[in-house]
Amino acid sequence: MNVPVKMAPLAEPAAGARVPRWRPAGRAAQLRVLTARQIRLVYADRRVVLFSVAQPVVMLLLISQVFGSLADRSILPRGVSYIEFLLPALLVTTGLGTSQSAGVGLVRDMEGGMVRRFRVLPLSLPLVLVARSIADLTRSGMQLLVLVIGGHLLFGYRAGGGVGGLVAALSLSTVVIWSLIWIFIALAAWLRKVEVLSSIGFFVNFPLMFASSAFVPVDVLPGWLAAVATVNPVSYAVEASRSLALGGQVGSEVPAALCAALGLMAVMMVLAARGFRRPPDE
Amino acid sequence: MASDQVIHATGLRKRFGTVQALDGVDLTVARGEIMGLLGHNGAGKTTLVNILSTLTPPTSGTASVTGFDVVGRPDEVRRRIGVTGQFAALDEQLSGYDNLVLVARLCGASKAQAVGRADELLEAFGLRAAAGRRAVSYSGGMRRRLDLALGLVGCPDVLFLDEPSVGLDLPSRLGLWEMVQGLAREGTAVLLTTQYLEEADRLADRITVLGEGRVLVSGTAVQLKAQTGSGSISLRVGPQGDRAVAAEALRRAGFPPGVEGEPSELTVPAGDSADLAVVIRVLDAVGQNVSEIRYAEPSLDDVYLAFTATAPDTPAPAPGAIGRPAAPAPARTAHRSTTPEAERRSGDTPETP
Ligand SMILES: Nc1ncnc2c1ncn2[C@@H]1O[C@H](COP(=O)(O)OP(=O)(O)OP(=O)(O)O)[C@@H](O)[C@H]1O
Ligand SMILES: [Mg+2]
Repeated sequence: MNVPVKMAPLAEPAAGARVPRWRPAGRAAQLRVLTARQIRLVYADRRVVLFSVAQPVVMLLLISQVFGSLADRSILPRGVSYIEFLLPALLVTTGLGTSQSAGVGLVRDMEGGMVRRFRVLPLSLPLVLVARSIADLTRSGMQLLVLVIGGHLLFGYRAGGGVGGLVAALSLSTVVIWSLIWIFIALAAWLRKVEVLSSIGFFVNFPLMFASSAFVPVDVLPGWLAAVATVNPVSYAVEASRSLALGGQVGSEVPAALCAALGLMAVMMVLAARGFRRPPDE
Repeated sequence: MASDQVIHATGLRKRFGTVQALDGVDLTVARGEIMGLLGHNGAGKTTLVNILSTLTPPTSGTASVTGFDVVGRPDEVRRRIGVTGQFAALDEQLSGYDNLVLVARLCGASKAQAVGRADELLEAFGLRAAAGRRAVSYSGGMRRRLDLALGLVGCPDVLFLDEPSVGLDLPSRLGLWEMVQGLAREGTAVLLTTQYLEEADRLADRITVLGEGRVLVSGTAVQLKAQTGSGSISLRVGPQGDRAVAAEALRRAGFPPGVEGEPSELTVPAGDSADLAVVIRVLDAVGQNVSEIRYAEPSLDDVYLAFTATAPDTPAPAPGAIGRPAAPAPARTAHRSTTPEAERRSGDTPETP
């Protein structure tokens, strides 16, 4: 680029008026601007969006075929097909992968220069994280919808709990996924390394996903795994989502899952904000 | 006037693990003043800029910018500063235009104001044509210019520029200088680090030389040159001459020890050009004829070399470090360099090309 540059003198505010030109944006306005940026980043690459949105449907296809052929109908709740059993669980477990990529995205963002600039702008820094979580949550929302539609088209899935039950299950899953996203945002804000985050992600995600009641009922798991699955928070969320989608009696699992998710999210938000505030070089 | 001090730092220390990056730095910069910060690689310039721009807290000591403590009231400080750091702080995935609009919006501009400001700055930094392209496709110098523009979005009262002209071509650099001077005339205080002594000489009202995390010296360019005290005389002895004899004669005549350069060249510190005659007489007396001789005024290079050479443990540059290819090192002698060894060492201090 050889175009010679003539730097014209800048138009400055009237001499003597050396006050900041604008009042700093309010928090709501900051969040809007930041979220718009994050959404652009999350959706910057169409291919990534396409594949990540298709991913849960692939999971549905594979797991339903692999486990569905094994799973004796008798181990499932009465009158429930494996798809009906599995799909509401996938609504939750899908979030594990997404939240990890949210963390990786944040680390990448922190490695780029803009976050560095954010640190010297009159800005409420935690809003950068909130914006990130919202942008990733929109992608999760798309995944969930595609999963439900895919399940319907491929397997004729219909929620036993009707549209109301399905919407309730989707809403609950969204809250749960939001809290999962915050776990990885907190990890990212402290660890700040993509490699570390990915390897930790594996250790967090796979046990949480498989040592749970997501794919088979807890009682058919081997004893020790059943014990783990019983205390695994993902199991609560899965049970809650399942009972909403299946309809019928909704037990204490729904409020329990919501409280757990919101509590976890609150803790993670505080940790994430602290981690993120640390100077970039320490 | 004390109220004019928009940067006020006392006793700043910063420790990274075992590295004492800053070791008690005091600094003041007044409204409308351009302060040049010099120092060898690792002297602590960036660390100082980072502390003053609220990026990193000091381990101890206090600093205020526009009257607000950088640790206690970072938000107030951030409203009033502009920063262009040593490493680009922009969003590569966004266009230059979107980068500027984003930052302006975050600074509180309305959409229309943000667009207006972006246009203004794109124009001023010659980025008009590239405005719509993603910054990832920009050349190094264009990124630098965008980064400088981003630092100015909020019309800062205090501007921090960490090696702003690295990677800029000559017209851009001259443009930047003009712009910085213009901003200072309007009252913006500028703290500018640089490895280009010419830049500091041209721009800075005052210069602070850092070394090993400490202020080695601070003052106007004129004061610093005066403190360094001397220019230098470079000479070549004739074909039959013996440089060692010449050097010894000059030493006995009271000249500080010199350095030997190019084959047969010798450089000694000298007070003024009147010393030319003295040198020739001294050498004539010991039978050394001079084939070439010249006097050089003290320059900021001399100041820099003099003060960084006396810094405790000035790090020797790594072998193969990029030297200063163009500068005729032997002609730049400094009074403070007590040994030719020290002189040679500091003369090799790498400069960002
Ligand atoms: N994050 C960090 N962790 C450890 N040491 C650091 C860190 N940042 C800086 N340092 C050390 O602090 C010292 C000062 O570094 P600084 O970047 O301030 O130097 P500088 O004067 O800006 O150098 P340069 O001219 O190369 O930009 C160096 O010894 C450096 O190694
Ligand atoms: Mg530096």
